[in-house]
Amino acid sequence: MRLGVPSTEHPRIVPVDDYVRDELYPGYKQAFGSQPFVAGPVRPFGKADNSRYWLRDSLHFSEGMVPASIALLDDAQTWGAQLGAEIVGVPPTRGSVNRLAGTHVYIGTIDVDTEWQVQARAARFAEYVTPILADFDRYWGMRAAELQSAYDHFDALDLTAMDPGQLWATVKDAYAFHRRAWFIHFEVMYVLTANYLAFYGLAEEIGLEGSLVSAFLSGRQTFYSKTDEELWRLAARARELQVTGPLLHEPPASVRTKIEALPGGRTWWHEFGEFLRTYGQRTEETCRIDTPPWIEDPSPALYAIGSFLTRPAGFDFHAARQQAIAERDAQIDAARRSLSGSDLERFDQALASNQAANFAWWNEEHNYLIDRRAAIPVRRASLELGARLTDEGRLSQPEDIFFLFKPELYAVMEDAAGWPELAAMIPDRRAYFEEWRHRGPELPTMLGTIPDTVPDPIMIEVFGLSGHFLRTLKGTGQAAELRGFPAAKGVAEGVARVITSVTEISRVQPGEILVCGGTTTEWTPVFGIIKACVCDTGGSLTHAAIVSREYGIPCVVGTATATQAIKTGDRVRVDGRQGTVQVFASEG
Amino acid sequence: MSPADAHVIDLGDIRAADAPRVGPKMARLGQLAAGGWRVPDGYAVTARALDGWLPAGRRSELERLLAEPAPDPAAAARRSERARALVEAQPLPAWLADAVGAAHDRLRARTGLGASLRVAVRSSAVTEDGARASFAGQFGTYLGIGEPADVLHHIRKCWASGYTAGAVAYRRRNGLPPHAHDLAVGVMQLVDARSAGVTFTLDPVTGDRGRMVVEANWGFGESVVSGQVTPDHWVVERASGRILERRAGAKDAWSVFDPEAGRVVLRPLPAGLARTPCLSDDEVRYLCRKAAELEAAEGVPQDVEWAIARGAPFPGGVFIVQHRPETTWPAAEPAEPAAKAEPAAKAEPAAPAFDPVRYALRNVFKVPGR
Repeated sequence: MRLGVPSTEHPRIVPVDDYVRDELYPGYKQAFGSQPFVAGPVRPFGKADNSRYWLRDSLHFSEGMVPASIALLDDAQTWGAQLGAEIVGVPPTRGSVNRLAGTHVYIGTIDVDTEWQVQARAARFAEYVTPILADFDRYWGMRAAELQSAYDHFDALDLTAMDPGQLWATVKDAYAFHRRAWFIHFEVMYVLTANYLAFYGLAEEIGLEGSLVSAFLSGRQTFYSKTDEELWRLAARARELQVTGPLLHEPPASVRTKIEALPGGRTWWHEFGEFLRTYGQRTEETCRIDTPPWIEDPSPALYAIGSFLTRPAGFDFHAARQQAIAERDAQIDAARRSLSGSDLERFDQALASNQAANFAWWNEEHNYLIDRRAAIPVRRASLELGARLTDEGRLSQPEDIFFLFKPELYAVMEDAAGWPELAAMIPDRRAYFEEWRHRGPELPTMLGTIPDTVPDPIMIEVFGLSGHFLRTLKGTGQAAELRGFPAAKGVAEGVARVITSVTEISRVQPGEILVCGGTTTEWTPVFGIIKACVCDTGGSLTHAAIVSREYGIPCVVGTATATQAIKTGDRVRVDGRQGTVQVFASEG
Repeated sequence: MSPADAHVIDLGDIRAADAPRVGPKMARLGQLAAGGWRVPDGYAVTARALDGWLPAGRRSELERLLAEPAPDPAAAARRSERARALVEAQPLPAWLADAVGAAHDRLRARTGLGASLRVAVRSSAVTEDGARASFAGQFGTYLGIGEPADVLHHIRKCWASGYTAGAVAYRRRNGLPPHAHDLAVGVMQLVDARSAGVTFTLDPVTGDRGRMVVEANWGFGESVVSGQVTPDHWVVERASGRILERRAGAKDAWSVFDPEAGRVVLRPLPAGLARTPCLSDDEVRYLCRKAAELEAAEGVPQDVEWAIARGAPFPGGVFIVQHRPETTWPAAEPAEPAAKAEPAAKAEPAAPAFDPVRYALRNVFKVPGR
């Protein structure tokens, strides 16, 4: 494991002081004790937080959280992670905790620091994980079916026809489901992480590069690779039906009208609607109640199709996948040839175990059932409730409901007395959200005490908190060459495009090199047009690493400072095998 | 019996029950010697001798130094350095120095080597090999010591090694007194080793009881135990004694005695030896048989450190240097002796060589004892 080397460096502290608050939002003090947190709920920063490290999670939440999103964050990265770590019994960590700087999410971990607890957790970890790994397909099938049947239920509800009692019950059901979905998320994640990290550790022990392990596990189709394939197909259909003009040149809001005015337009739009019914139940970010799913606002899908149309040859998914599989198999063969005896036997068994319970695959696949979808029932029911409250004159627009905290909403729905005070706070809260949305890009990658090493191997592989990453964050000078984790091989030189939020993704031009904090599922379509990818965060298991390999482009992650060191327009050279990025003078 | 006699004990007088006084390492060696096993001769200085040795002023100075947890790693390192210097600089009281001198003279006489006797001076924590309290390897071991005055100096160094920052932090975490009350010292004849290493009576990676593993290098065992070289590696089937695997190590260095330095040091291994296995197949099988016998006597899997004396006829030159329970696989049942194994047992499927959960607990999450 890359657990870093002992270091005598002095800790560097990036003070949280500027972000210390008593309230999560103006006028909202949290009521504690209502939820069974293992290690504490989402909170604003306090002075004591200077003693630990806090990583900005722009990967999942780039633009900030409105008040109603904070309950969803509580369910996910706070409560879900804590309960998952507790039930699975992960020995070194009690899961994650969150702090907010303004409206922006930072993540920290809580180490298990007594020997007895480590031992007790290790014992139940073995009991819990072993049978799941032995029969992972059946187990994940069961969980996926549970999630799917909930979506079938919520999607079939006719919210507008409900009486007020039914609607309020639906809001509560949707919240309850959201919390359940996130427990499933972390239960599975911790189980699979152990399997993956064991393979990673074994690989390094027997003389292989640990970074190869996720490559050994690549090539399996996911819901998202199918989505991308469908988007390319729709681009090809637009050519056949001669409706490319609006897709290339119109803003998303007017695309539909312009397309349907063309002879083949209705056919194409119908096919697009069919696509959205299957693939459109996804939002752009995690736990963001204020972001619409594609089926509600298809702009991201229309943008993706439009950018694909700039490549007349299309993208041969079948050939790309065949090639990725052939390369994967060649890498496995090469690794096996270098081994013999018990090392080979252990390698084969670890590989088989990871092919059967494949974290690299699941890390993409699960998003359509959890991360990008679990909040949609809450959003729909809340918006319907918001619309009715607007009609009743309690709110001035349906989306105002996103600016109430869940406990506030629950209290006021039980006793309608508090509405005027709550409604009066909403404009200030909107302004607060907007103010912090603009401040997002300037927030430090890490707050508190930057450690020399992070003991939690999950934070290292998923968030990329390697010793190198931490040393780079401590450094102040900017080198002409950045180093990171070699995530996907190949060398590419080109013009950089620095993007700090997925909402800016439409600025990326074909053939550019994407430089960003990190990518998630929503960024996937852009990999079809970029030449290479460079990220601040990330390890071998991050989205950008996995998707770059599928698309056959070079990728370097975990550079810590790429978005600061590189400016849009700089000429850069990405070496995905060495894990280096050279920055040349700006082109313009 | 004088207090000095009670604190410096010849190996021939040590039995398993003496573990609380001399540490399990020395106690097991004494028991082995009494049972007719070939072990290096020697003597032990008890942990109580250390406890009663420091003058009161020094003791309270030490306690003041370690009373509070250090605010940061740098401060912990500075305090530990001061504590070690303090202990190392304190001469042994005359009664203890005399008792050690006398024991050393007796050892010279018993081995017949006189002034040419070389010894290993090893720390032997009274809790060191316990399943939980193991921070083995943190304490000093000094090889190739000759003169009695030098032996006394290295006994002090062993005791001082109880004050490394890691050892101090460990005691604090476990609610033990901050001073090193738990260190005995063993002084043993240094076997002039041609080859040396370790035998595991189970596969230390998978816990498979059907396989035994031998790891060895030319010269003293220090290069193997300290992990400074990748040793030669053999896997032997317990039931048949068949060698299942042999892997030549990257043996670029070995531990040898340097007469000028008067110490055992790590040196580059001559190219001719680097590619030559340091044991014959017969030696490998013999080492496994002896380790299995030891395991049967102890009732739990063992790792056994041994050395083969230079020039001695095989197997007369094989010495057991130390052994201890293999704690990585606590759930393992004692193996049946091979002769008693039921034929039906062979039909059972072999345990998988790789268990991701066990591997993750041990090597990824690094849970002690897993």
